[in-house]
Amino acid sequence: MRSITLGSALLLLSMPLLAEPMAMPPSAQLCGTCHGPTGQGVEPLGPRLAGLSTEYITQQIKLFQTGQRQNVSMTPMSMVLQGDAIKPVADYFASQEVPEVTVHLRGEAAVYSDPTQELVYQGDWDRMIPACVTCHGPSGVGGGQFPRLAGQQASYIKTQLLAWQAGTRKGDVDAMMGSIANKLTADEIDALAKYFAEIK
Amino acid sequence: MNHVKSLRSALIALVGLCVPSLVIAAELPDKQAELQVKPKSEDTVYLNPREMSAIPQGAFGDKVRQGYQLFVNTQQLRGKYVGNELNCSNCHMDAGRKPNASPLWAAYMAYPAYRKKNDKVNSFQDRIQGCFTYSMNGQAPANGSEELVALSAYSYWLAMSGLMDQYQVAGEVPELSDAELLKGGKREDFALPAAVKAAMNIDELAKLPGRGFPPIDKPELAYSPERGATVYQAHCQACHGDDGQGLAIAGVYSLPPLWGPQSFNWGAGMHRVNTAANFIYENMPFGKSIQLTNQQAWDVAAYINSKDRPQDPRFKGDVEALQKQYHNHQGYYGQSVNGGAVLGSQSYPVNPDKK
Ligand code: HEC
Ligand code: HEC
Ligand code: HEC
Ligand code: HEC
Repeated sequence: MRSITLGSALLLLSMPLLAEPMAMPPSAQLCGTCHGPTGQGVEPLGPRLAGLSTEYITQQIKLFQTGQRQNVSMTPMSMVLQGDAIKPVADYFASQEVPEVTVHLRGEAAVYSDPTQELVYQGDWDRMIPACVTCHGPSGVGGGQFPRLAGQQASYIKTQLLAWQAGTRKGDVDAMMGSIANKLTADEIDALAKYFAEIK
Repeated sequence: MNHVKSLRSALIALVGLCVPSLVIAAELPDKQAELQVKPKSEDTVYLNPREMSAIPQGAFGDKVRQGYQLFVNTQQLRGKYVGNELNCSNCHMDAGRKPNASPLWAAYMAYPAYRKKNDKVNSFQDRIQGCFTYSMNGQAPANGSEELVALSAYSYWLAMSGLMDQYQVAGEVPELSDAELLKGGKREDFALPAAVKAAMNIDELAKLPGRGFPPIDKPELAYSPERGATVYQAHCQACHGDDGQGLAIAGVYSLPPLWGPQSFNWGAGMHRVNTAANFIYENMPFGKSIQLTNQQAWDVAAYINSKDRPQDPRFKGDVEALQKQYHNHQGYYGQSVNGGAVLGSQSYPVNPDKK
């Protein structure tokens, strides 16, 4: 608790005050420096949080706290939120708006000329890679424990897939995402990161 | 038993059956009977259909592509032929291409098939209709309809392109008429390239490796929904939800419901514990980051199939009679699990209107 107060005091200096759809809990102000006051992300300081669910945000904070996710800036930040303090902050960011995208459904097209789109909408089952959108939802808009990929920063998407490959990101149930990330080539990771980042 | 409710479901079932343009016998045939397929073996080589981009341009190719689209996004037929939130590809994975997930290419070459049970020859379109009626809890499109032609064209193209590549036959997949497409490939007058004909006879073609869901060994302990609940929580709940109702994102149930009103009905093959166990062992958890044990697959199959779901469309008001006639297999229809209501006595409606 002490560190939050300290953090927010520091932060107020640099943060423009905006009218919010949901009032910002004081404990979320610190987060705004790197994630933006409405969680839209500040590249390269921190990824977008808007568009993620309370459930997912809460779970990720716990993963940073327990070392299953590691990051020099975010690991210490996760420590400032303990117990009941997590939920209001998670709720706040989860309630923030994201640009609406016209979703593309699986089966809407039969043939994709771009191999990246093929991976996204049809997968590559010879390598046991299911279509990304099966879990992340149409156009990767996300829901529940499946994070939104649409419009996320490309650099962040890339570092996450690489983190799984390096073994520094864990904690997904039965390694359901890790086992997929491990099968992707470096070129595919670049292309996928770019593809999802451009869905706006 | 709740008579009002069963009467209602019976009425709904009846209304569903009476749509005039759809020729369905008053007695719905058991089109979901178990397949007899060989267990899996390690060194099997599976048929490998061509890439989607190889589908030719033109009217025939359009049917093939439409078949794919209907198979993957079957929800476009919701309220018309589909009465739940599923898509064909939820069970026939990788859009019906994946071996050991009841692939369409193997299925296509196995019909028309003679069925002792109703002393009738089932064509490929008959078999597809079965999955609409039961797995999709809907009302099957009529014989010869655009949808059945498209789904047959897609299945045929997968089978034939795979066979041609396997036996080095160059060129496009030969086009077939709609009437021929609907029959299936297991017939003497089915046009096959000479190289394929020389390599495999009609019975071998009807049993392509990878067909159906390969049977797994019987469990060491009798399967148990109670133990299955634990497996469910650990390995399934993350995706299918704590209540088995799946997860809709942007209105689409990419993570499909496993029981309840929006899942397959009591007549579907997947409600049998053994069929579900075979499917689950081979295909779940989705993406296969872990492999369940035999016992876990049986137990969790029992768990999901001990929950209520839409009524068996052959239901005429008497659960016990239906249970005796059609449910002499490993399943929970007509039984009470843990002192709950008899399954089937309060089941959800068949083919409900989407609204
Ligand atoms: C000093 C900058 C910084 C601050 C302040 C900060 N974060 Fe982060 N946060 C990051 C970075 C960097 C990442 C990406 C970590 C990685 O690459 O693994 C991140 C990741 C996250 C994620 C994971 C997002 C995802 O898509 O998985 C969540 C959730 C998160 N932060 C929440 C918070 C909250 C809540 C606060 C306020 C208590 C906060 N952050 C404060 C830098 C920061
Ligand atoms: C089997 C389901 C599944 C599939 C298929 C899948 N993902 Fe994921 N993905 C997840 C889950 C679950 C998470 C969250 C993991 C966690 O809780 O730590 C995730 C997380 C991610 C993240 C991290 C996002 C963030 O905000 O931190 C990225 C990036 C990602 N997935 C990319 C992909 C791509 C690209 C594909 C297709 C090649 C894909 N995923 C396919 C389940 C899946
Ligand atoms: C709830 C899961 C499920 C869904 C959804 C489903 N099916 Fe099936 N399908 C099955 C099962 C189970 C079998 C029988 C396999 C067995 O017994 O091994 C089957 C069998 C088939 C077969 C025959 C396979 C063979 O080798 O003989 C065809 C063809 C078929 N389905 C087509 C479809 C079509 C088309 C749709 C969508 C309209 C569909 N299925 C939806 C579960 C499903
Ligand atoms: C990573 C997410 C995930 C996990 C974990 C998972 N499933 Fe699935 N399951 C899916 C998806 C996605 C489909 C549909 C496949 C498709 O559309 O390609 C599916 C389909 C099914 C189906 C057939 C469709 C239906 O609605 O009946 C059954 C049965 C099933 N799963 C059972 C299970 C069981 C039992 C477990 C646990 C052992 C499990 N699943 C674990 C994602 C998952």
